[in-house]
Amino acid sequence: MHSTQELELHPDHSVTQMLFKEVKNAVELRQKAVQGKINGALINPTMLVNPFQLLVAANKAVHLQKIGKMKTRSLYSEIIFNLSPTNNISEAFKRFGISDGDDSVLVVLVHNKDESQLLSDIAAKVDGRQVPVEDISSLSDAAKIKKLYKVTPQEETCGTLLDAVVCRMATKDVM
Amino acid sequence: MATESSMALPEFLGKAELLKQGAEARVYRAQFLGKPTIVKERFQKRYRHPVLDEKLTHRRTVQEVRSILRCRRAGISAPVVYFVDYTSHCIFLEEITGSSTVRDHITSCPEPELERIAERVGQILAKMHDEDVIHGDLTTSNMLLRRSPEDGESDLVLIDFGLSYISALPEDKGVDLYVLEKAFLSTHPNTEALFERLLKSYTASSKMSSAVIKKLDEVRLRGRKRSMVG
Repeated sequence: MHSTQELELHPDHSVTQMLFKEVKNAVELRQKAVQGKINGALINPTMLVNPFQLLVAANKAVHLQKIGKMKTRSLYSEIIFNLSPTNNISEAFKRFGISDGDDSVLVVLVHNKDESQLLSDIAAKVDGRQVPVEDISSLSDAAKIKKLYKVTPQEETCGTLLDAVVCRMATKDVM
Repeated sequence: MATESSMALPEFLGKAELLKQGAEARVYRAQFLGKPTIVKERFQKRYRHPVLDEKLTHRRTVQEVRSILRCRRAGISAPVVYFVDYTSHCIFLEEITGSSTVRDHITSCPEPELERIAERVGQILAKMHDEDVIHGDLTTSNMLLRRSPEDGESDLVLIDFGLSYISALPEDKGVDLYVLEKAFLSTHPNTEALFERLLKSYTASSKMSSAVIKKLDEVRLRGRKRSMVG
């Protein structure tokens, strides 16, 4: 169901993603997240193309945390910020973070190798049905994503939407 | 904290497969976030003053990454950038699998196929120059043909943007073509006609080709590889 990937550049860190549909307590979850009570990033899956982009965002966040150069205040807010094509932090939260009316949520956790307890803790907090992470593609709003990332029609001839999104995420700081 | 991060990367690169070592950078192949990845490391040059080395290396890394994104936005195939580590000047890029270089194709393929390739290269370079991207190191080894499973005609991918920069000057574009001409003719003997076809295709596809070709002719007469300006 959930997917876990070890960060090759940071061997003591692994990234786990869990996807939930039919979520009923989005309001409560968002409040808890703002208060810092949730040990994970809560993301709106309609803005996502593929689990790979979360790995890219998380890897960059962990790297910046290690060298003390994060732009936001916590690792999880940094992951959300890294997903955004712009450098405006509050805009990133608004677009990629969970909103009160959402009925699906992707939870991203960064942890050491063996923290299965963490996963069940978070899953217990979400009032919804857990589904395989690969289902993200069925929730993606491709038109909205293309518009937000300003993907050109020519660009789509030389790669997938995921390619366009990941490339922008990786080069945001120098463009 | 800083030592922690500087210890993980060398270990990672130590386990990766070294593909090439150049004067500027080392190129590795590895798995990154579950995908086959090419890592380009611009290592420290101890023969340079450290402050200058840092500035130069950083600038080149940034230019490389900007040029790649600019090309992709215009529909020119180039490897996807996954991650850039500005502390160690490493670029993590998509590995283009299932491909061979144009150089290998020229030495092995029949004439009609080569003519088609030359036409396509001319078209793609025209598009690149129209985007004001100067590749800086155009050779037939830096162009890949990636076999496409469904369509049939393979995808032409440009790689190694290590010396690339943004410029609108016809002089710079002319020099870019001159570098390719020199590399082309020295690597592949008796291919003057093929290169001419490439230039014809470039001229037909580019919006500003006449100025560029004019400069190319001038540069040929000079017999130099660098612009005399600045």
